Amino acid sequence: MAETEGFEPKIVAFVCNWCTYLGADLAGTNRLEYPPNVRIIRLPCTGRIDFNLPIKAFETGADAVLVSGCHPGDCHYTSGNFHARRRWMLFRELLSTLGFDMDRIHFTWISAAEGRKWQQVITDITERTKQLGPYTLYAGNDGKADAAARSAAASRPVPPRTFEGQDALRASARRLLEAGIVKVVIGHGERGAPVFVTRPDETHQLAWNDRCQANLTTYLKRKEIRALGKPAIVVKGCDERALVVLEKESQVEREHVHVIGMACEGVGAARCTTCDVRTPRYADEVIGQVAGGAVSPDQRFQALAEFLRKSPAERMAYWAGELERCVKCYACRQVCPLCYCERCIADKNRPTVIDTSPTLKGNFAWQITRAFHLAARCVGCDECTRACPAGIDLRLLNLSLARAAEDQFGYRAGIDREAELPFGSFSLEDKETFIR
Amino acid sequence: MENIYRPDLIEVVGIRQETPDVKSVRARFVEAASAARFSFQVGQFGIFSAFGQGESTFNICSSSNWKDRIEFCFRRVGKVTEALWQIDEGDVIGFRGPYGNSYPMKAWEGRNLIFLGGGIAMPPIRCAIWYALENRERYGDITIVYGARTVADLVFVDELDQWATYDRVRVIRCVDPGGETPDWKGEIGFVPTVFDRANVPAENAVALVIGPPVMIKFTLPILDRMGLAPGDVYTSLENRMKCGLGKCGRCNAGPVYVCKEGPVFTLEQLKALPLDY
Amino acid sequence: MSDLISGAALRRLVDEWIGQGKRVAGPVLVKPDLPSYVYLAGGDRFLLDGFVRPVNSIKEFVFPRHEPICAYRFEGKQVRIADADAQIGDQIVIAARPCDAAALPILDHVFNWDCADEFYNRRRRATTVVTLACSTHDEACFCTSVGLGPAATRGSDAMLLDLGGGEYEVRVLTEKGRDAFAGKTITSDRIASEAPGPGKRFEAARVRRYVGEHFDGPIWARTTLACLGCGACAYSCPTCHCFDIVDEGNLNGGARVKNWDSCQFVTFTLHASGHNPRSAQPQRQRQRIFHKFRVYPDKFGDLLCTGCGSCGRNCAAGLGVLNVLEAIERDDGEHLQA
Repeated sequence: MAETEGFEPKIVAFVCNWCTYLGADLAGTNRLEYPPNVRIIRLPCTGRIDFNLPIKAFETGADAVLVSGCHPGDCHYTSGNFHARRRWMLFRELLSTLGFDMDRIHFTWISAAEGRKWQQVITDITERTKQLGPYTLYAGNDGKADAAARSAAASRPVPPRTFEGQDALRASARRLLEAGIVKVVIGHGERGAPVFVTRPDETHQLAWNDRCQANLTTYLKRKEIRALGKPAIVVKGCDERALVVLEKESQVEREHVHVIGMACEGVGAARCTTCDVRTPRYADEVIGQVAGGAVSPDQRFQALAEFLRKSPAERMAYWAGELERCVKCYACRQVCPLCYCERCIADKNRPTVIDTSPTLKGNFAWQITRAFHLAARCVGCDECTRACPAGIDLRLLNLSLARAAEDQFGYRAGIDREAELPFGSFSLEDKETFIR
Repeated sequence: MENIYRPDLIEVVGIRQETPDVKSVRARFVEAASAARFSFQVGQFGIFSAFGQGESTFNICSSSNWKDRIEFCFRRVGKVTEALWQIDEGDVIGFRGPYGNSYPMKAWEGRNLIFLGGGIAMPPIRCAIWYALENRERYGDITIVYGARTVADLVFVDELDQWATYDRVRVIRCVDPGGETPDWKGEIGFVPTVFDRANVPAENAVALVIGPPVMIKFTLPILDRMGLAPGDVYTSLENRMKCGLGKCGRCNAGPVYVCKEGPVFTLEQLKALPLDY
Repeated sequence: MSDLISGAALRRLVDEWIGQGKRVAGPVLVKPDLPSYVYLAGGDRFLLDGFVRPVNSIKEFVFPRHEPICAYRFEGKQVRIADADAQIGDQIVIAARPCDAAALPILDHVFNWDCADEFYNRRRRATTVVTLACSTHDEACFCTSVGLGPAATRGSDAMLLDLGGGEYEVRVLTEKGRDAFAGKTITSDRIASEAPGPGKRFEAARVRRYVGEHFDGPIWARTTLACLGCGACAYSCPTCHCFDIVDEGNLNGGARVKNWDSCQFVTFTLHASGHNPRSAQPQRQRQRIFHKFRVYPDKFGDLLCTGCGSCGRNCAAGLGVLNVLEAIERDDGEHLQA
């Protein structure tokens, strides 16, 4: 792109207090000249950076963002930057999928002794950004006109096709309730909606058919359900993955839940065509038998690959079109089994981190935060996409981060009970080719 | 276009810190036209803005006879009140109001008035007290029982002293057991207990009771025992509000909109309300 | 004798309205399975058949999901306020469903109760509603249980009824409707037949009495366990109107805005002190039913519901008011015997 005459880019740098900030200071005391375009925001550590902060920078008109901290091994808090590096590895994928101009997003390690490096990096970024011109393409930019959002999703009623395990399921539920092993059986009803059966003579309410889309594990976090007592829960293989993550994140005590696993041939959702978890693996009992084979990552991420053929500008335009319809109903959050925070960051008002308004700015900020807070945690049950009344393709955002987690860390959420959670850990060998 | 949500600007002319987390604020309208057309009745509330942070609902705790200013009192407890805590004299904030219903000062004429308050609930009573004192001959005996957890939590302390100097006014102040200081001269005990042993005559009396739920819970039976009819016992309900105009739906409690049919309710009306507030 | 217009002529008329600078909204397939009311760029895409009802409602054209109330700027200790005075041009909603149109006169009450909300009124005045009568319904529809039907005219300025063969009877109902269609129709002797609506699912009067008597009853917890506490139902609903007021800006200034809100969120009634009168989902669900089927009609004489069924269709947990109301209907009989 041609250099815009007289254009002075605004660059926001999130830097850690102990290394990069002192490095910038050193540049100053050594009289090293560098362009004045950078606004420095000092944080104790790069590990503290929640990724709505760089997004806020773009919202308010930044043309480029830099995130910089101590070199690996030098972190003042020992491992903060290792955690940050992990996050950056995945966050970049999300930004790329959203259609951000990745030439405007930079990560560096700059130590307190590297005044010269600071000078070089800032000069370089400023030059590059001058060449790129002002950044006007972020759809969540504050200055953009807000479109009145449209919304809602249609569901077409189809007569349900009952699966073979239905009778066995009801018998199991009856047995569990009669014996007092559980106080409630959480299952699907005839139309797929959740039912909470507390009496043995009500187990006929339970159904097992192709309408059973809902991931019922989300109800394990609801206090009204917990109050009922020990539950039995009906899970498909995809639902069970959420249970695995919940257990690893200490939200569920496995012995306190009786898991009825249903072998599933598919409930007609997009994810079913590339499912490789047709039979639950950690259930207390499994009903039914379904043959299932391995599915390659390429097959599983095909929808994403097709999407990524779009240019960044096309991607951003796509997401602007999608998120214009978001009403901030938070159905995506409420239905997700892994969104269990007592008080969500979106509800936080001291300070207000994410605009509550259903403007493009507020919608982008929310969806980016939501997707990223589920990075390497989302199990791909697609409930958020099903729940969205505006039909927004949230699945694509989730796939993007799932692919990144698989590529970078060989990790698939909820598959292996023993696998370490990526964000609870880090490796000294994490790839940092994108970090200067 | 008439904008019912647009606030008036008011300038802070006085701030007083009443307790470690309570301040009272005196303000006057910036625009003379706003001042000229403004009037309110004691018991009504206003919605005050800390621009940039939001709005919050407070009773207008000044007497409606004071034409040059309005006053409100708040506890530092949330986003907006934190911002209000930082304001100085000369700062400009926002005001919408007056909203809600008011104390029936006209209907109370000729009656003996009993005011019972706890802690931060004094401000909404204070406006009624001043109004009554400023029209002293229209009202009978006035009894004020006001208490807080500790001495430091009492608000408008100097005014309590002033009120006691008026004719046929009895002021009893108290603190919870353990909340007294060595030089405390008032009563020690919870408001209901202190009120009970004060043996206030019940005949021809109306009572305004505002305070934390536990105080109300134990005070109402005493008033009942004294013989006050539920229609003669009043309170002011606190509720989460946004528009204050009966449109946004937030303060709908049972069948009423607190911002329109309240916040002043009689005990009789309150009994008909489900516990939705 | 009746007025008739062909589908093609109707689409040309929409183009004409847009050409006159009016904004026209109608149902389009935003995605293959997603009919939604949107502002139209032309008359070619909006739906005249093949759908039960869009996923959203037309309330957003008179009551936007986000609307600035005023702007404020800081100047030292001073604050300057400016009205957010957007110019509202004429707009027409075409092919609205009767259950959407009927919501507008119902909403008029709350926005004009005691004082008038001009943000709402000016849009309302500027809007002409042309409804498309329903020729079908699905299991979520229950307009007939709340006094409406497939060809209910409440809130409509003109109604289109499908005659088949790409032709529509036009019934002009108000001045605005007359203005919209003056000289655009041809006279005909064809009268459209009105489709039968869904069977009645509950008695509104029984619900009204029941919710008053069973405020603390066990039915709420029993029927609403599946509710996840999102805002999908409230935001799809043609009559839900609760809103939030927030300030958004920076150190220089910003705007005070109105946004849609929902009584199903846990923070809706949360006091700064921490007290929350509706801290459990069953209480919040109760509020929804109570407000729509008792408080609103007691105050304003209208149910706050048009039976469109969107709440049920859009609920990820398959709930919606209909489930609760049918449970009340069943429970009421049992209770009387108990």
